[in-house]
Amino acid sequence: MRPLPTWHYTLKMARYAPWLYLLHALLWSLMNVLTLLPGLIAKAFFDTLTGNAQLPGGITGLLILLSILAVGRAALWLIAGYVEITFRFTMSGLVRRNLLRLVLALPGASALPFSIGETISRFRDDAYEAEDNMDWTDEIISHGLFAVVAFVILLRINVSMALVVILPTVVVAAIAQRASAALGRYRAASSQATSHVTGAIGDIVAAVQTIQSAGAEQRIVAHFRRLNERRRSAILADRVVTQAVDAITANTVSIGTGLIMLLAASNLRDGSLTVGDFVLFIAYLGFIADFTTGIGQYLAHYRQTGVAFARLDTLLGAAAPDALVAPIPLHLRGPLPAVPAPTRSATDQLTLLEASGLTYRYPQGGRGIAAVDLRLQRGTLTVVTGRVGAGKTTLLRAMLGLLPRPEGTPAGEIRWNGQLVEDFVSFFVPPRCAYTAQVPRLFNETLKQNILLGLPDDPAALTAAVRSAVLEHDVQALDSGLETLIGSGGVKLSGGQVQRAAAARMFVRKAELLVIDDLSSALDVETERMLWERLLSDGAVTCLAVSHRRAALSRADQIIVLKDGRVEAQGTLDELLASSAEMRRLWADEAAETRPADLIE
Amino acid sequence: MRSFDTLRRYWRLLARYLQPQWPQMALLALILCGTIAVQVLTPLVASRFIDQATSGGAINELIFLALLTMGLALLGQGMAVAETYVAEHVSWAATNALRADLLAHLLRLESTFHNAHTPGELIERADGDVATLARFFSRFAIYILGNGALIIGILGLLVFVNWRVGLGLSAFVVLALLAMLRIRAGATPLWAAERQASADFYGFLGEYLSGLEDVHSSGAGAFVLRRCAEVMRSWLAVTLKAQMRGYALVASSQGLFALGTVVAFALSAMLFMDGTLTIGTVYLIFRYTEMLRQPTEQIRNEVQDLQQADASSGRIETLLSTMPGLLDGPGATLPPGPLAVELDSVSFGYAEDNLVLCDLSVLLQPGRVLGVVGRTGSGKTTLTRLLSRFYDPLSGAVRLGGVDLRTVGIAAVRARIGLVSQDVHLFNASVRDNLTLFDGDVPDAKIRDVLKQLDLTDWLAELPHGLDTMLGSGGVGLSAGQAQVLACARIFLRDPDVVILDEASSRLDPATERLVHSALGRLLSGRTGIIVAHRLSTVAYADDILVLEDGQVREYGSRQTLMADPTSHFAELLQIATQEISS
Repeated sequence: MRPLPTWHYTLKMARYAPWLYLLHALLWSLMNVLTLLPGLIAKAFFDTLTGNAQLPGGITGLLILLSILAVGRAALWLIAGYVEITFRFTMSGLVRRNLLRLVLALPGASALPFSIGETISRFRDDAYEAEDNMDWTDEIISHGLFAVVAFVILLRINVSMALVVILPTVVVAAIAQRASAALGRYRAASSQATSHVTGAIGDIVAAVQTIQSAGAEQRIVAHFRRLNERRRSAILADRVVTQAVDAITANTVSIGTGLIMLLAASNLRDGSLTVGDFVLFIAYLGFIADFTTGIGQYLAHYRQTGVAFARLDTLLGAAAPDALVAPIPLHLRGPLPAVPAPTRSATDQLTLLEASGLTYRYPQGGRGIAAVDLRLQRGTLTVVTGRVGAGKTTLLRAMLGLLPRPEGTPAGEIRWNGQLVEDFVSFFVPPRCAYTAQVPRLFNETLKQNILLGLPDDPAALTAAVRSAVLEHDVQALDSGLETLIGSGGVKLSGGQVQRAAAARMFVRKAELLVIDDLSSALDVETERMLWERLLSDGAVTCLAVSHRRAALSRADQIIVLKDGRVEAQGTLDELLASSAEMRRLWADEAAETRPADLIE
Repeated sequence: MRSFDTLRRYWRLLARYLQPQWPQMALLALILCGTIAVQVLTPLVASRFIDQATSGGAINELIFLALLTMGLALLGQGMAVAETYVAEHVSWAATNALRADLLAHLLRLESTFHNAHTPGELIERADGDVATLARFFSRFAIYILGNGALIIGILGLLVFVNWRVGLGLSAFVVLALLAMLRIRAGATPLWAAERQASADFYGFLGEYLSGLEDVHSSGAGAFVLRRCAEVMRSWLAVTLKAQMRGYALVASSQGLFALGTVVAFALSAMLFMDGTLTIGTVYLIFRYTEMLRQPTEQIRNEVQDLQQADASSGRIETLLSTMPGLLDGPGATLPPGPLAVELDSVSFGYAEDNLVLCDLSVLLQPGRVLGVVGRTGSGKTTLTRLLSRFYDPLSGAVRLGGVDLRTVGIAAVRARIGLVSQDVHLFNASVRDNLTLFDGDVPDAKIRDVLKQLDLTDWLAELPHGLDTMLGSGGVGLSAGQAQVLACARIFLRDPDVVILDEASSRLDPATERLVHSALGRLLSGRTGIIVAHRLSTVAYADDILVLEDGQVREYGSRQTLMADPTSHFAELLQIATQEISS
């Protein structure tokens, strides 16, 4: 139900660049004219030779005309080529940019239902199908129009023979329509198999160290060969079926050719049909046949484009299906788009955040969180703690709207200064809220750009953020400081450096509420202590953090202990140590960390 | 010279990937000959038809000729389907073999290479580049030969029909082919740039798509879209240049052939008026001139594909000839049993002028456990990478059981080491395959036993298909902590003599961590262990302690001794942590 009919997308895409589309159509129509004219010239040539026609220019005139056409056609081809490349790039560019825009707007955490490799295959191959479809629509329409022109010319020469030409066309269109359903199925299967292969390459090269250290290279390659083999059989079936449909259409046309010859036999003998007419019939039959084959292929391709749009649609989340082809600027020319600076309003300032009844169940496993209440005062630190799988990260993500749900936001409500928050996803972003994930990612840019991510370059704010994140010594040690390129093609940062760079990214946004998921997992004791000290030195910071570490727990204004997705206990550290067995257990385990058994002995 | 290299490159590819498929290739050649025969025969039939019809031949013969035309057409179509089947079969078998070889090669390359290339880019190289070679594998040689034969055949027939027409058209064909080769020559670097630009775009996409949560929570969507515009813009510029070459190729061949038709018309008109040619023969010349276009365009298409294939095959060769920086040693063998681990004055840096480890010496006796602590960036992870021989030291030596790692086969070293690293990677595959890394020989009972030791029995019971449940994209999701426990489970299924845990439990809560470590403690008995940690509890059962600072040994000794010495840095660290407790 979700994806729109393909023509709907096609229309929207054509409307995006109407002039380019029309120009493309016009140039290809001209090309068709230049294809049909030589047929008429050949007819005139043969008729002049056999004495059935007298032309003012004679044979010489015809040959000059033919030469002019040849040169004109070559020039036209170059112009049409330039327009076609630009047009095609614009069309797939529109789909790709819209797709990226919509994917970026999805709730972040497990936004993508597919692996990166599979997603890239959608960006690459399915957007290409959409582009191909656009290129084809105006060409097939123009081809059809000129096929009609050719047919009318043939009708004027010999009605019964012309009808024999048109008959197979109708038959072919009908057959192709029936076959296209099957083609869609084969194409879906082969695209799926391709996605599995690209997905596997992505997974494997990302995990290369794990594989190497386990000596599992050969087994991984064997697994990859199996995926390849599946893709091969799927694509083979797809291609052969497509070719067979083509063959059916072409065969109907060949039978038409035979019929023309049968009918022409007597007409040529009695002179009612000239050799020039016959030549024209054979030439235009070719043109019309190309169209019937083309329309068959187009219908099949149209169906395959529908499959591509359906695959793209699975990435859109709650966005409207036609947002995929929304008319947004591509910025392929002229100045690049400015990144708008975040604006702050007085209502954004946080005094009190209340959440009640937050509930989330994962669609796959049974785990999640149930009926969690929270109350965060301005300038306080709240620490969420609990065992693995207790739902700590889920709680943060549910609150920030980072979890995918068909019906939008998770169950439960959140009030910001008493005001009900409608849409968590778009609300909990800077300058209201900034978040550092448990496993943060940096990108292939300079360190500075990684921290700013488009914010205006304010050196003072940047220095302060780097200091708050205890990253200043690391920056000094880098060759080009903040301008050092990191990621692939640059310097590889250690796990702890990545976490602190992500923290700097969060700090520089000066958000009202900081949400931190286990920031310290790759930090040593001293660095962690400094980080908390610097973070809390500004008393105005409101912070919600997941942690098991004493450095955080002992500084918390309130602690929330989660167990199996529910709030087990809530209060200050002293209250909880007195009242909660789970808290005592988690705390005691932390103690065991710093006072190993034999230290006490 | 360069084109000679290119030829040799193609020859290597063809020999390696097509040789196993020679029967299919032979069949393909046979089908092609049939197709050529049909193409040459059809105009001959039509020419005879015209001559017979205009000169009042027998109607039966005319009907026979018409039916023959239909029959030939049907035969041609049948062969087209057969050709698709065989050619696709050949090309997919060959390119899949190449894909697998490329992936195997990527798995041989070390971290230096993988750090410099994003997964998105490598997908484009191991799949996208190979796909452009598909046509080359299945069709190139046969099509060039087949169509060449067709052209020569047609020209021969034309010379036979009339030598002047035949020679005139031969000149045109030669001219057209020369023009094409000339245009093609400069196109390869353009296509190489095009392939690189597209790899850059998908590299960019892959990177930001895997950091969606970070982009969203930083409100950086607009920034990513701006970068997208930048990357797309440079891609368009490059693709315009490369593709326009292709259009120039088509324009020149079409223009030349249209002019060829003019010449053929002029000559045959003169000869017809002389009475040398019948009208049927003029038609034959007309048809054959038209027909010459098709094989020349086929050759042009192949040549055009070759432009892309040139670029792609060059990139593939570059990838395949990127030698691993680390080579297998002459094949010394490591002694059996638990291994001593020795770093002997080891210095190492990822860049020459920036040492991460500096003159580091450590000797760990077999069966002992070493805890490595230090601030972030002090070189702890780098140390573990040297031990698994992901890198060689710039100076000094790393030894296992007294044997320099550089003298041993890399696989032989890694077979003895079990490494659990900071980064956890799961595959889009079943739980079983994720744990065994696709080793089908590990019995399920052993897997269940390991999961039980790690307290994952309840988790396993909740999975919809048990060990066959798919993990990763489209399957069951795991929390970062659960994924880390699974990564630990992997080494329990192997039998390493040296166990290296690099922050293997950093994302676990203390209760779970203790559980995992008591299991790891059992695993470590009788093995040599190295535990890298930020948390001191993690190194609580280490025999020795190494405190790293700026890549140098700050302190190294038995844990008991260091703890007992109040002036030691280790004791100070414990002190800080204890203060944290009491504060």
